[in-house]
Amino acid sequence: MNGPIRHLAAVMFAGFALMVGAVTYLQVIKGPDFRDDSRNLRVVTGRAGKERGTIITADGVILARSQADPADPQQFTREYPEGPNYAHAVGYATLIFGAAGLEDSQSAALVSDRDATISGVLNAILGGDIRPRGLRLTLVDSLQRAAIDALGGQRGAVVALDPDTGAILAMVSSPSFSPASLQGRNAGPAGNDLASDPTEPLRNRAIDATYPPGSTFKIVTAAAALEAGMAGGGTTFPDPIALELPGSTATIRNYDGRVCSNGESVTLTQAFVSSCNTTFAALGMQVGAANLVATAEAFGFNQPIPFDMETLTAVIPPAASFANDLPGVAQSAIGQRDVRATLLQMALVAAAVANDGEIMEPYLVQEVFNSEGVIEAEMEPAVWRRAISPATAAALTDLMEKAVDAGTGFRAQIEGVGIAGKTGTAEVPDEAPDLWFVGFGPVTADEEAPRIVVAVVVEDGGAGGEDGTGGAVAAPIARAVLEAFLGR
Amino acid sequence: MSRSAEAALLLTASVVAAFGTALIGFTRGVGLDAQVAVTFMVFVASFGTVHLALRRWAPAANPLLFPLAAFLTAIGLTEVYRLDPELGSLQRWSLLISGVAVAGVLALLRGEGVVVLRRYRYLFLMAGAGLLLLPLLPDSFWIHGIEANGSRLWVGFDLPVERSVSFQPGELAKLALAIFLASYLADHHLAMATTRRMIGRLSVPPFRQFGPIVLAALAAFAVLVYQRDLGASLLVFALFVGAIYLATGKLAYVVAGGALVAAGGLVAYQLFGHVQRRVSAWLDPFADFSDAGYQVAQGLFALGSGSLTGSGIGLGRPDLIPAAATDFIFAAVAEEMGVAGAIAVITGYALVVAIGFGIALRTRDLFHKFLAASLTLVFAVQTLLIMAGVLRLLPITGITLPFMSYGGTSLLANMILLALLARISHGART
Repeated sequence: MNGPIRHLAAVMFAGFALMVGAVTYLQVIKGPDFRDDSRNLRVVTGRAGKERGTIITADGVILARSQADPADPQQFTREYPEGPNYAHAVGYATLIFGAAGLEDSQSAALVSDRDATISGVLNAILGGDIRPRGLRLTLVDSLQRAAIDALGGQRGAVVALDPDTGAILAMVSSPSFSPASLQGRNAGPAGNDLASDPTEPLRNRAIDATYPPGSTFKIVTAAAALEAGMAGGGTTFPDPIALELPGSTATIRNYDGRVCSNGESVTLTQAFVSSCNTTFAALGMQVGAANLVATAEAFGFNQPIPFDMETLTAVIPPAASFANDLPGVAQSAIGQRDVRATLLQMALVAAAVANDGEIMEPYLVQEVFNSEGVIEAEMEPAVWRRAISPATAAALTDLMEKAVDAGTGFRAQIEGVGIAGKTGTAEVPDEAPDLWFVGFGPVTADEEAPRIVVAVVVEDGGAGGEDGTGGAVAAPIARAVLEAFLGR
Repeated sequence: MSRSAEAALLLTASVVAAFGTALIGFTRGVGLDAQVAVTFMVFVASFGTVHLALRRWAPAANPLLFPLAAFLTAIGLTEVYRLDPELGSLQRWSLLISGVAVAGVLALLRGEGVVVLRRYRYLFLMAGAGLLLLPLLPDSFWIHGIEANGSRLWVGFDLPVERSVSFQPGELAKLALAIFLASYLADHHLAMATTRRMIGRLSVPPFRQFGPIVLAALAAFAVLVYQRDLGASLLVFALFVGAIYLATGKLAYVVAGGALVAAGGLVAYQLFGHVQRRVSAWLDPFADFSDAGYQVAQGLFALGSGSLTGSGIGLGRPDLIPAAATDFIFAAVAEEMGVAGAIAVITGYALVVAIGFGIALRTRDLFHKFLAASLTLVFAVQTLLIMAGVLRLLPITGITLPFMSYGGTSLLANMILLALLARISHGART
């Protein structure tokens, strides 16, 4: 009678073995997925009050640090000594309002390894360092402050970066907030006010907002024409007072409603320098939707930007959508219609021009260091994509330099230094225009000279109101950052 | 192994339990308090009573059964106490009562052993059926059913005093039914295994022998389905099918039983909303995260957060899982003690099952053999069903994890189950 007993026993033991396998699979192999699931309250509550790593700028200014509670050394409060100045880049990690910025995206490094994962246990057994790591960012305090001062509380954002490496040197969004005000158990009312504020102080306008790029997009349109060999700086175009759009009653006019040059003909250079809509709309129709969209995508439109934080993606509709819509192509060529870009994306367009046509991957985290200050990981600059040929980049540099020297971007001029740039004044329905400047400097023959790309966007006309222009409002902000970079 | 070794192991388990209570005191910031001593004394009193009863009335019984139960109870009580100290102290009372009950059972069986039970087979069948029917009593009676989570599997007493007492009769019914089955099959297994009747070309099992058992199974099953108690239905069904297989050695009955379970499951799925919810929560707990899938998903979060060595006792968040102290106690343990603790617990159960089947194999008497094997089977199936539910291998069936889940009836029933196994093992050696 023992046979059936043995069989039943065998089945039961197979069952127990299956349980061992299942529990190991769920806890160890699939475990990290469940542990880090955003719906797992342990992630948020578990990290509240725990020590987090220090975050500093490239020049050593402390942006975030954890201080032990004198009453309970296991409890830490997070301090942000620079207050609102770095709020959007550094972000926050809170119990009530979730997490944002680097505090969110880099939390794997910033929190302790003292957990039950294989690496955490091994580290603890082997006496490894399980204290949280710190981050050294690429941001430079003097540039960050110059950008904040120049923006002067207008709604908008500034991004500055090194075109040779992709290092972000300044990232400012205004209005800002104090990350400390979201911390702690009593943060509810203040945090709710921030979250419901119609000016959206919590939004990082450098990467989490898209705007019509307006005339700054003429860099892309010019690049498409130059790359296709359809035009050069000296190519001439008709100079009407208004460009009639085929198959439509609409016309495109220049910003001031006048002709671009003498009313007869205008060169591409003149049109770029004076930012003539009539010329670039015509040029856009000439290069065609396919070329325009392909060039914009080469610059990174419609592609997620590889970055240390999540960014919105710049958008240009697919070429096929323009099949029977030449007016749409004309309006897209001057950065209107459905073209939308983040400030970071337009900074990368300028970076491509500055860097011989190649765009480096942008980054904010220069180094990860352990609790003793020893560097554990260092960022290696990497090429993201080639946008244009070096020849096109050189031709565009020439156009952009002239636009600052003798054109709409003249308020970005710095004496004795070559600055290249392009302004933009993008129409927005029912609002004052969004104002742009993207550019870089110094423009020199010296390959080794450090350079900086500066991109500025100011919402709703800024201090200029209905009459605000990119040249009047955004260009001076860029100049302030360029001057700070050049040490003036 | 001897009774002294058993005493030493039981004492160790008591220290483990006290240590667990102390750890929770520290993580709660109250430090060492009287609760540590209370836990220790309850363990020593309860398992001490069991040990003394074994020394007196079953000295040759297997000395590992109760130490294993004590270790599992220590881990379970620690986690229950950690989740809710109120439940923890109630569970300690249940442990005291269970210890006395084990001694009582051993005392009752001191003369001839479990053979006594064989004579009262129909009494046990009636008791089992009666217990299963109890929850159907209307609310106006002084003893009545209680509905919870869509199932009616509890019974409450209204006492003259403020407090009312409730218990799960299904837990005790499984013991009564196992005794009935072992007794019935010991008498009839030969006829059942050999007699054949042919209807046309089909060979049919003999109704004379199978009739009562099939009727009993159907009655038990019907009652449980009527109470919508999925877990207990499966458990009782597995018990009947397993026992028939033990008696006949014919795989065909297991296959037929499996087909019946599948068919019954399909019918239950069509008829009952709460079964559909459980199945959909099982297939994809994250699809309806905030509602039907919430419990299973929280269980998975707990498992994943526990990882290798766990968060540490009192340092995790198993309180986020609904019904953590009962159905999901295994997930709570796995979170705070990690995969290491979870495997230790599984091993503990596997050892109990191994000892149980070992006793069944060694004993000569058929009734003893069938009883030991059925009791072990029902214990193993119950453990596997709820573990598989937590680990998403099966839908959640809502039964307790023996010795670990909060629940007095469950602890009492499983302690008595071990007492019967111990008494059989004593008889097998003398």
